[in-house]
Amino acid sequence: MSIRSRWKEFRLGIRPTLDELKFTLRRIRGSPLSIVGICLVGFFAAMAILAPVLAPPTSRDPFMVFHDGWGQIPRPPGSSIDDGYLRNLGWTVHYFGTEQTQVDIYYGCIWGTQTAFRIGVLVVAISLAVGLLTGSLAGYYGGVIDEVLMRFTDIMLAFPGLILAMALVIALPPSWPIDFGFIGLAIVIFLGLMLVGRSKKLKLTGIWPFTLGLLGLVVFVIVDSWVLGMPPIFVQLLELGSLDKILIALALVGWPGYTRVVRGEILRVRQEDYIEASKAVGCSDFRIVVRHILPSSIYPVVIMASLDIGSMVLLAAALSFLGIGAPVGYADWGQMISMARNWIWAGTESPWMYWYTFIIPGLFIFFFVLGWNLLGDAFRDILDPTLRRR
Amino acid sequence: MGLGAFVVRRVLLMIPTLLGVVLLIFAVTQMFTPQQRATLYATSERQLTQIGAIIRTHHLNESILVQLQEWLGQLMQGNLGYSRTGGGPVLQVLLRKLPATFELVIWSVPITILLGIYLGVQSAVHRDKLPDHVTRTLSIIGYSLPAFWLGIMLIAIFFSALGWFPPERMGMQAFNYVYVSKNWHIYTGLLTIDGLLNGQPWITLDVLKHMVLPTVTLIVIQIALIVRVTRSSMLEALGKGYVMAARAKGLSNVQVINKHARRNALIPVMTLAGLLTAGLLTGVVITETVFNIDGVGRWAASAAGGGGTVPDIPAVLGFALFAGVVYVVANLIVDIMYAYIDPRIRLG
Repeated sequence: MSIRSRWKEFRLGIRPTLDELKFTLRRIRGSPLSIVGICLVGFFAAMAILAPVLAPPTSRDPFMVFHDGWGQIPRPPGSSIDDGYLRNLGWTVHYFGTEQTQVDIYYGCIWGTQTAFRIGVLVVAISLAVGLLTGSLAGYYGGVIDEVLMRFTDIMLAFPGLILAMALVIALPPSWPIDFGFIGLAIVIFLGLMLVGRSKKLKLTGIWPFTLGLLGLVVFVIVDSWVLGMPPIFVQLLELGSLDKILIALALVGWPGYTRVVRGEILRVRQEDYIEASKAVGCSDFRIVVRHILPSSIYPVVIMASLDIGSMVLLAAALSFLGIGAPVGYADWGQMISMARNWIWAGTESPWMYWYTFIIPGLFIFFFVLGWNLLGDAFRDILDPTLRRR
Repeated sequence: MGLGAFVVRRVLLMIPTLLGVVLLIFAVTQMFTPQQRATLYATSERQLTQIGAIIRTHHLNESILVQLQEWLGQLMQGNLGYSRTGGGPVLQVLLRKLPATFELVIWSVPITILLGIYLGVQSAVHRDKLPDHVTRTLSIIGYSLPAFWLGIMLIAIFFSALGWFPPERMGMQAFNYVYVSKNWHIYTGLLTIDGLLNGQPWITLDVLKHMVLPTVTLIVIQIALIVRVTRSSMLEALGKGYVMAARAKGLSNVQVINKHARRNALIPVMTLAGLLTAGLLTGVVITETVFNIDGVGRWAASAAGGGGTVPDIPAVLGFALFAGVVYVVANLIVDIMYAYIDPRIRLG
């Protein structure tokens, strides 16, 4: 087949997708709130990317906010920087003023954007990945796996997110010896048994290779821990900084929600005729899930993810505010507001003297979360196949 | 299935979840070192200095199964450890601090629900008109506001600038009367009610004045959810055949909305009670910290990080367990009420 005819075929094949995309863009243009959402998220994304330009780092770790001396009383926007070292680096003015201990608000807010993106996007990405995997397993195979996973998510969801995250953050140790040899062996056993189950000799189908693998895994763990006493195979010490702890805690809190949604969607889609058809033509389970089920069940998950980036950042900020979040001096919006708590009331004469200490970082959080929420709402109206043509 | 059978079934189904909640907390305890874990078994201040003895008597160095047995035994006796920050055994501190939290909750919940439903219904009835736009905008703003920042802004505006509503739980005079003088008698632990029962209405007024800002904070962060669900459920109900039938037989608009559409629309809103409970448990942690109210939420927050460099583990885990149990029980109650109101649930 010549290149030209291939190109033609490709163009014809892609046309419906392009038409859908055009339709989507038209819908976006027609809804002012979604434009505001996209602009806000874009604005913050630009700020995160341009952080090194907007606020050149003053130390090796750019996320540590510089402070101009150690004075206790916050200084208003526009006051000059006295520190000679900082002046040499080109920092002459506190654009947004300072928090107590002279932490620069402008620098903290700009780099705090990167922190927020890291927390929001990473947490949601991890939760989403785990949720997609477990939710697909539960929804597609049903049975025992479904029951076990759902009861487990029930238990996880029985705790309010912030409270479980609080407990997890203080429980996670600063360094964690992880036996990668053990994990590797476990994965090899699991996958190996699954392949054996699917081999021509055993010819197991559906859920059974997976069950076999799981069974082997359980036997391995029991034998290793109780009979052999868990000998270390290849142990690596994993250092967990404060921020890593937050990421892990929030991801642990976040994934069950995705599992639930993905499972529900798959249960809905599984009934459709085209799944029956693809089974009939002999598609593998993996192909059916990835190529046929997920594409039509992904929209609610995308919407949820977009809304969740905002709420995860809110949770992380709340943790920081309570004093169990980012390390002291880290560029983090929640921490800056927490620092401002002593300056909400500045005496009877001018009670609002230190307004900049809490209003500026607060506005950053608010608009960031607002942007993602508007974007999520826009996705809901635009992407959801049941709503979009109305 | 009758309602009785449904209730029995639902209560039995709750037991494994509760057990799971306990097991999850146990799993969290296993992330600590035996020394840290030992504080979960202490019953007095003095025992905190005898960590070695606790580790031995409770077998904290041994296998997980032995520890689980030990921990469940302790739970059965109601021992959740000794809280440094609370200055007492966890369960006692929890019970002592609960009234302050409860007082905040019972004032904010009815307002949240009634106002939320009202706004949601108005928003749906006037779809795509001004009230709808205003309500939707406000609710998305409520969604995006960090609760602690909202609290701080309220303090800054209504206390710092205007001097109307102060933070904390009560003023100095009331505090002296309640905690220092001998005249105060505790009937319910709720200061607003005890003030009246003690014949001191000024204390009730003072406490109410102090509760305005925290209550508003809790309402604002919760109400968006109710408005949103009421609106969509109401929109769905308005499109149903029975609403059309009601209109067709000539009922007034008010009657159609109040008697026919709203009643049915409120059924799904009831399921929110579970989420509302979770939001409240989280909300009190933040509002009590911001407004410096001595309830369970502030206690848990200060135990986790605010207090010192070493977290007060028993307090945090005890509060988490409490929150989990409250949430599970709240969901049980919601499910039963749901089945009572909507027979389709238990018969279907």
